[in-house]
Amino acid sequence: MIANLVYEWRRLWSVRATWIMTFVYLVITGLLGAGPLFLGEEISNGQTWKGLYSTNANFLCLVMISVVASQFFGHEYRYGTIRLTLTEFPKRERVVLAKTLVLAVYVTIATFLGWAVLGVIGSIAPEGSIGTEGPGISINGGEPSELWQVLVFGFAYCLIAMSLTMITRNLALGIVLPLLTFSVIEGLISLFAQLANGKMDWIVDALPFANGSAWLTNVAESPNAGLIFAAWVVGAYLIGATMFFKRDA
Amino acid sequence: MRIEAINLDKHFRSVHAVKNLSFTVEPGRVTGFLGPNGSGKSTTMRLMLGLDNGGGETLYDGKKLASHLPVTRTIGAHLDAKFFHPKRSAYAHLRMLGAEAGISKARVHEVLKLVGLESVAKKRPGGFSLGMGQRLGLAGAILADPQVLMLDEPANGLDPQSIQWLRDFLKNYASTGKSVLVSSHLLSEMELLADDVVVIARGNLIAAESMPAFLSRATGSAVVVRSPESEKLAEVLSAQGISSTTDGARTIVIPGQTTDRIGEIAFTNGIALSELSPRTASLEQVFLELTESGQEYRLGETS
Repeated sequence: MIANLVYEWRRLWSVRATWIMTFVYLVITGLLGAGPLFLGEEISNGQTWKGLYSTNANFLCLVMISVVASQFFGHEYRYGTIRLTLTEFPKRERVVLAKTLVLAVYVTIATFLGWAVLGVIGSIAPEGSIGTEGPGISINGGEPSELWQVLVFGFAYCLIAMSLTMITRNLALGIVLPLLTFSVIEGLISLFAQLANGKMDWIVDALPFANGSAWLTNVAESPNAGLIFAAWVVGAYLIGATMFFKRDA
Repeated sequence: MRIEAINLDKHFRSVHAVKNLSFTVEPGRVTGFLGPNGSGKSTTMRLMLGLDNGGGETLYDGKKLASHLPVTRTIGAHLDAKFFHPKRSAYAHLRMLGAEAGISKARVHEVLKLVGLESVAKKRPGGFSLGMGQRLGLAGAILADPQVLMLDEPANGLDPQSIQWLRDFLKNYASTGKSVLVSSHLLSEMELLADDVVVIARGNLIAAESMPAFLSRATGSAVVVRSPESEKLAEVLSAQGISSTTDGARTIVIPGQTTDRIGEIAFTNGIALSELSPRTASLEQVFLELTESGQEYRLGETS
């Protein structure tokens, strides 16, 4: 298993796209974090360190590292290297496990680096722009998240991106599908649900990213949001892994 | 290491691509894997590596591939000249592939030097020619010095010098007791390289035997005799029920016989011979004869 992990680690960091997307992720995290602190007195007075450190759970940030997550399988299929990988490691369940573990480590590193950037921005922010009173501003809506929630949400989002790439074998779809679902499709479904006079509410209640966001921002009206989101993540992962095991390489 | 492919079978929806195929690849020999386009060679190789799901199994010294660890010391496969990330350097590509067997950086450099890619080791292979891609693929296959090499069309895109290098390399590799299975469309090259052949057409096994045995299958194999007494020899042969044809003034051609047999008859009858030589069919002739009906994608007539 160690060899699988070494292989994945080298695969991950030996392409420039990983470095570039991580850098872009940090830049966007920094810009989004800096916004509420530097853009005006009436906004900045409400920010806290907790609110600031919630910034990198924003989907604009997560899209950047989800590109890297999609590459775990997307590059393999796009360039045919999956056949090299599976010749070297014929036990496919180990390949999936190694990719998942390395993805977890990658997301952890990226998230901590994001917090480091936010920490620097917070320390150079105008005096008094970060307070200790109140919940602070969450760029994701609702209340600011706990640090562990930011980390888990980031990993879950990337896991969905990786799973969709496993299912579709298409790098672009692995990136675009979660992004579109998060930013457009779920909004449209909610809109239709409103027009349907409550007949579609059960669909809205089960949407993956709406529940994910509700859990992340501690929305009190959605106590099961975390479980519903987790079910989507685990479901997508299991379907992706099963298809990876069953299909020809 | 002996490879046994046992009842390999593969369907792609309605297409039965590989039909209950069984053959062996012996250690210390180069086995050529031949077949027309679409005959199922690449699919068979993928089945042997466990990359495709299908019927049958492949045993390496009696065990499945996954039970030989590290796998890359058991088998090195090169299936396509473009199986690399175009922006991962050749060196990084090989470092990645060397993870399972714990290959050192020095070995990576050694292999890059061996295949002639050392000067472009840090370059992105996206700009490599087909031949350079083949070399990189071969480097990946031989990196861990495996017991088995499985190469799919490795000579495609190589220049004549590189093809000669590849032939010598594979012969030397097999001579150390390792197994080499190599598919190719370059039949003249395969005739020089392979000790054994496995021939398939439309997923069916046509032949799995030594190269000389395969060549002897040709209807065109014969013995050519030149003698000042060629007419007398023809009469003697005819008396023994052996047919012959005249091919020039003093030359006769005797189909379906061996030089040993004809030489013995001539000696017994006191007939002097100026030349006694076998006329064996080329691999191409035999291949075309045996696979003509099994061509998946037929060509049109040329004018």
